[in-house]
Order: sequence, then structure tokens, then C-alpha cells
Amino acid sequence: MDILLDEDFGEELVKQTVNPDAISNWNQFKLAYQAAKASSVPTFEGLVALNHLPHIDFLSHQREAAEEIIHQMQGRAILADEVGLGKTIEAGLVLKEYLIRGMVNKVLILTPASLVNQWVIELHEKFFIQAYAPKKNPAWKDADIMVTSIDMAKREPHQSEILSIPYDLIIIDEAHKLKNPATKNYQFVKALQKKYCLLLTATPIQNRITDIFNLVSILKPGYLGDLTTFKKEYGKKMGSIDSNLNLKKLISKVMIRNRRQDTGLADTKRLVKTEWIEFSEEEQKVYQMLEHIKGTHPSFTYLTLAKELCSSREACFLSSKQMYDKLGDPEATGPLYELISGVEQLPQHAKAKRMVELIQQTDEKFIVFTEYRASQYYLQWYLQQHGISSVPFRGGFKRGKKDWMKQLFRDHAQVMIATEAAGEGINLQFCRNMINYDLPWNPMRLEQRIGRIHRFGQDKNVQIYNFAIKNTIEEHILNLLYDKIKLFENAIGELDHILEELDIRDLGKEVEAIYSESASYGEAKIKLNNLASVISSHSEPYRRSSS
Amino acid sequence: MKEAAAHEQFVRSFFNEYECPIVSDENGRLVIQLTDKMDEALMNRPFYWHYMKKMGRQGDPMSLTLITNPNLTEEKGEYIHSGSPRLRQLYRYLLEHCRFTKLYEVVNASGQQSSLVPWLITNIRVSYYGKQKKDELLSIGLNLIHGTMVSSIMERLENYQLETTISDYTFPMTPLIRIPSGYQRILRFIQEHIENTDQTWAVQALETLEEEKQLIHAFFQEDDDEERELMEKEVEGLMGRFTPKVTIDVLNGGLFYLTQETTKEVIK
Repeated sequence: MDILLDEDFGEELVKQTVNPDAISNWNQFKLAYQAAKASSVPTFEGLVALNHLPHIDFLSHQREAAEEIIHQMQGRAILADEVGLGKTIEAGLVLKEYLIRGMVNKVLILTPASLVNQWVIELHEKFFIQAYAPKKNPAWKDADIMVTSIDMAKREPHQSEILSIPYDLIIIDEAHKLKNPATKNYQFVKALQKKYCLLLTATPIQNRITDIFNLVSILKPGYLGDLTTFKKEYGKKMGSIDSNLNLKKLISKVMIRNRRQDTGLADTKRLVKTEWIEFSEEEQKVYQMLEHIKGTHPSFTYLTLAKELCSSREACFLSSKQMYDKLGDPEATGPLYELISGVEQLPQHAKAKRMVELIQQTDEKFIVFTEYRASQYYLQWYLQQHGISSVPFRGGFKRGKKDWMKQLFRDHAQVMIATEAAGEGINLQFCRNMINYDLPWNPMRLEQRIGRIHRFGQDKNVQIYNFAIKNTIEEHILNLLYDKIKLFENAIGELDHILEELDIRDLGKEVEAIYSESASYGEAKIKLNNLASVISSHSEPYRRSSS
Repeated sequence: MKEAAAHEQFVRSFFNEYECPIVSDENGRLVIQLTDKMDEALMNRPFYWHYMKKMGRQGDPMSLTLITNPNLTEEKGEYIHSGSPRLRQLYRYLLEHCRFTKLYEVVNASGQQSSLVPWLITNIRVSYYGKQKKDELLSIGLNLIHGTMVSSIMERLENYQLETTISDYTFPMTPLIRIPSGYQRILRFIQEHIENTDQTWAVQALETLEEEKQLIHAFFQEDDDEERELMEKEVEGLMGRFTPKVTIDVLNGGLFYLTQETTKEVIK
């Protein structure tokens, strides 16, 4: 056993005792001793990091995962929790523990480019860990904790420098992209020098059982034998790991996989109800006017205005007025002008009325989501007219204001009207009713919305109302996208991966493109239908392999 | 709650020691006015101080608001808890700046001459690296006249009064054991201590190392150069992870002159 010691302290002390500047007084000396005690970890066992992070409520599966990775798996593991169970939190906790214990100094975190900043922010805010996202000329050797994308890291001159550094810990987010050993990415990762290594993915097996073999080979080459024997043994049994007990047992020693239903998150149900609403006659008339715009304006304009009219007069008025001013039509006769004057005379919005009816039925709290700022103002005013108290919420609010609004909502107001779900970190488990006043065209955003109330700590069933107006663009969206994909039945995690496989970045944009590129309503309908079938056909095999 | 009180006590002594007055102090919320020196040390704004010095101007040191009461959740300020960055920073500062000392026990003048016994005091962190890691903090004093060694010396000296200047009517005895050789004695003692403690952790680490090595040898084809290179890299990684080792680091230490009575007291 090696013992490394500091031979020269004696000589140094002799030198320093005649240097008055180096001499500390008794109190300082005692304080330093106290500091030394406080920064030592006297046991091999346990997670010291929990004590260091009292502001985070770790869920029990997250604590257990971190403990298992460090103590049973010796710091090399695949973290394969289902989406939304906090893989990043678990990885952060492991990193923090190693840092506190002084077992890790040099860390490289590889993520998709779009998540780099999020990692840096989360490590800083949640874990007090200072990480750097390198820009132009990264000092790979100098900074201890770097977050970057594989694409950047594998480019020269970075690659050779990174490969020359002995890292203590490497974390790879979205590691399922590394399933093919023939790719440059895979070979690059394989060549990294590492002591500990975490691979994060929600889908450790995407298509073939060899996917898992390749991931494990990064962590522990040889653990599953070599590829030929592995294939011979397990290759024919396609799909699920669970079907083969032996393999499952082996893999459970290098992989952690928590599922929603095991974590208490699935105890409460989501009850989803679609509220079909009909426009009043006047409203329907104005909506018809939009048809005229199709001829004279780009289809995008039509799309925007139609969506807005389905939300509120205000939203539609605001942007049509803006367009009108921009075009500077002096004749005041165009279809846009007609529309504006039509909108001006509309009564209260049909959806707003329905919303008030729903809220008035009970004393329970409601969160209402709308896509438009103008509708948000309108709804707040409209609720006030009916003696219902409400607070606004927007992604753009500062941290403090967000917290304050949340508190007002919890303690005083009955309704919160929010425009943006992405406001991460706002948890409203005390509320169980949600009205999706407008449906976002990207269903992923809907899941984020629902996630605000249907999360750990919610003890009641969650009631979700989706508003849609008949005979409008909303009806198509709801029918084609939401119903067909059966979004509400399942947690969205899998949709996430289906979209990724199909290389669809933003479903909302995709739908928008279909509408604006189609010449007729019929054409759009067919295209949307196709999109929906592609997605749902992809979800079939996924469901089979994950269940 | 006990922990919070200890942290508060620590923070108070720290700023008291470095002459930063506490300007506001209400149940667990402390506002501390920093001095120039402490602002430079803690607030991480070197450009400001560089500029002020260059312009020959007086800098304006900041104040810190620290919350030591964990129940004050709505207050603005920095929360002080085990992992809080500020507390860690104070620890680092102390361990960096208070490595050495030379102290004399305070003797109230009685007109009678008395001699002070030289002691070498060291605070040492021993870290054990196996599959996991743990630290052990040893505080060892060595009497430099007759070589007696005493453990937990800091705890024993806790309540004695020591100064950097020598009291009247006292004189320091010249050590018979030189400091460097005294230090070597302490190191030898620690090595023996390590060898006498339970070594299961090291054995376990070696076992795991052997198991993992075998897996790797089975996986790679050693006759292929490229493969062998990869394999060696893997093995190197394993060695780094599982080779048991111990490090011995001196955190701080000093030459202490203690009265004959105290010397007897701490040896007991």
C-alpha cells in the first residue's frame, strides 16, 4: 500500500517561525483547525452531499440512485430513469459527493449543444458547483469542470488535448446517441481517460439489444463478454432486457432505472376532458371574414389571426391592428380593415364565459394557461368582473416576482393565469385543476404545463380541461394531433423520444409549416393525418420495448 | 439546530478575528461590514481593487448579509449551512493563511522567572483511498525536550491562553529535538498508526481491482496493437480507481511554548 506524505513540513516550519507575516495568532490557528475538521469526511459510507444541499428536496429514488452509484457501482453507471425523474439531479448529486470527498477534481460533461447552458446553470444554482462552458479557445487543462457538446469536443485541436487529460469523472447526457460503436462519437468517448463515468439516457435500448452492450462497454469493457458471444447468447431475443432474467441481473449492477410508477408519481391520475365550445353567431361571422384574408395575405397571417381569434378579441385585434399599421392601407377597405372593425364589436369571448362557469362551480384553485399575453390581460379583467381573484404568471418574470405570485396564488387568489409553462421550478401541487384555454401546437409544451401540478407531492387526481372551439382551426388540431397520438393517456416521455427518432425538433413548428404550406384546408388535413399516423406508428414498438 | 448554532459561532469568531464589525445582528441575520483586506480576500473583485489602488483612491468595501437561522426562509442574504459556498470559502481562506504559528503561553507576571517548554504541534489529515475515501484528522503534539507525544492536542489546549509574544519574566527553553526530526517522529507515529488500523478497506479494493482486471483481459484481444493500447488505458483507469493508498497532509502546525504546569497537564 502506498503512503504519500509531505516530507518537508518540518524544514518549512523552521523557516516560517522567523517570518512574522506567516505567523497566525492562536484564534486564527484554532479556526483553521475547525475548518479542517469541517471539511474532512470521516467515513467511507453515506452521502455527505445531502447535508451540503439542504435547499433541495431530493426524492428518495434520487438519493438511493446516487448512493448506489457511488457505493455499489463504484462510480461507473448508466442512469436510465424515465424522463422527468431527475437524472440530472442524480448526476449532480454524485458529482457533488465526489467533489466534497475530494475524490474528483477534473470533470468533463458532454451534452447536446442545446443543453450546455442549462447544465452550467443547474450545477451552479442547485449544487453550488462552478462549471464552465467553453467558447472559442477553451483552456481544457485549466478549468476543472467543463460542460461542452460532443461535437465540439471531438473537433481538433480540442480532441487531442481532451484525450491527453486524465479525467476523474465523465458525464455523458443523452448517451443513447452512443449506441453505434462504428461512429466517431463512440470511438471518441471510448478513448477518453476516465476514473468514474456516468451515462445518462432514458432509453438505454432503442432498437437492438446490442445497444446496451455498447453502452456497457464504455463503462466496463468485458462485463458482458465480447460482442460475438453476447450476440450468440442474447441476440435472438430482441427487444426487452426484462425478458431475459440473467441479462437483467447482470445489467442491474451497472444500470439504474427508476420508473414513474415506482416512485409514487403515478399514484394520482390525470382526468382529461375536452370542452367543446361554440362561437356565438357574431364571432363565427368574424371568423368567416378571416377566409378573405387568405386570398390577399400570406397564409401565415391567416394562421396567426385565426389562432388568436380563438383565444380572445384582444389578441386578434392587437396583431391585426399591427399588421394594418405596417401595411399602411389608406383606403380602409381591405379585408384586414374589415376584420378589425368586426373584432372591435365582438361581445365577451365564448371561451372566457365557459371558463368562468367552470371556475364558479367550485372553490378549488385553477391554473389557466393561454398562449397570448393579450388574452392573459383580458382574462384577468374578465375574472375580476365576476369577483374572482387571480394572479398573472409569465416566464419573463424575475425569480422574486415568480415566487411572490406563486405565494399569492397559494394563499389568496383562486386562479393563476399563466402564459408560459416553461417557468421551471414553479411547483403548484396545491392546485389540481388546469384549464388549457388555448392548446399549444407543440404537445411537449402541454406536458410541461401539466407537470406543474401533476408532480411529486400531488395527492389528488388532476383534472385537466382542454378548450377547443368547434368549426375552427382548434378543432383540427385537437382531433388530429392530440386525440390521435393519445397524448393524455401516457406520460409524454416517450413522445420525446419518438420525435427525436423522427428528427422532429419542434412539433409545433412542423404543424405550422403544414398549415402555411398547404393550398387548401383539405390538403392540410391530409398532411396532418399523415404526421399523426407516423408518430403513433412509431410509438407502438416503443411501448412494447419499455413495458 | 445545533449545527446552525455552531456555524453561527464560527462565522462570528471569523469576522471578529479579522476585524470586520457586525453592524446589524437580529436573531440569526448578521450584516457584516468588511474591511478592505477582507473584501479583497472574499468578494472576488480584483479589478475594482486594482483600479482603486492605481488611482490612489480609498476603496469602498462591501458588507455581507449572512442568514444563520434556517427558519428565516424569506430573508434576503446568504444562507449559512454546511455546504454554503461562503462557509467553504472561509474554510479555504483559513487553511491557506493559517498554516504556521509560533505561540507562547500567557503567564501573569508574578516576578518569578519561569521557563517555557517547546512543543511541536501538528494538525494532520490522513486520507484513505480504497473503493471509497475517508479522512481522519489527527492533532499531535510532541514535547521537544523529552519527546513525549500527545494526541488530540488541540482539544486539550482549547482553553489555554496563548500569544504571539512572550510574557514578562518567562524564557523559552531551547529544543533538544530539532523541529524537522521531531516532525519525522510524528510521521513515523502516523505510519504505525495506519498499519495498525483495520485494513479491510484496502483488501477489498485490491480484490475488486483484480476482478475488474480479469474482465478487461477477457474483453480485449491482446495481439492487436490498437486493442492492446485501449486495454492498457482501461487498466490504468482501474489502477487509479482501486489501488489502495493513503495520503498524509499537514494542514497546519507550529512551535508552541507551554509552561511546565501546562506541559504536565496535557501529558496526563
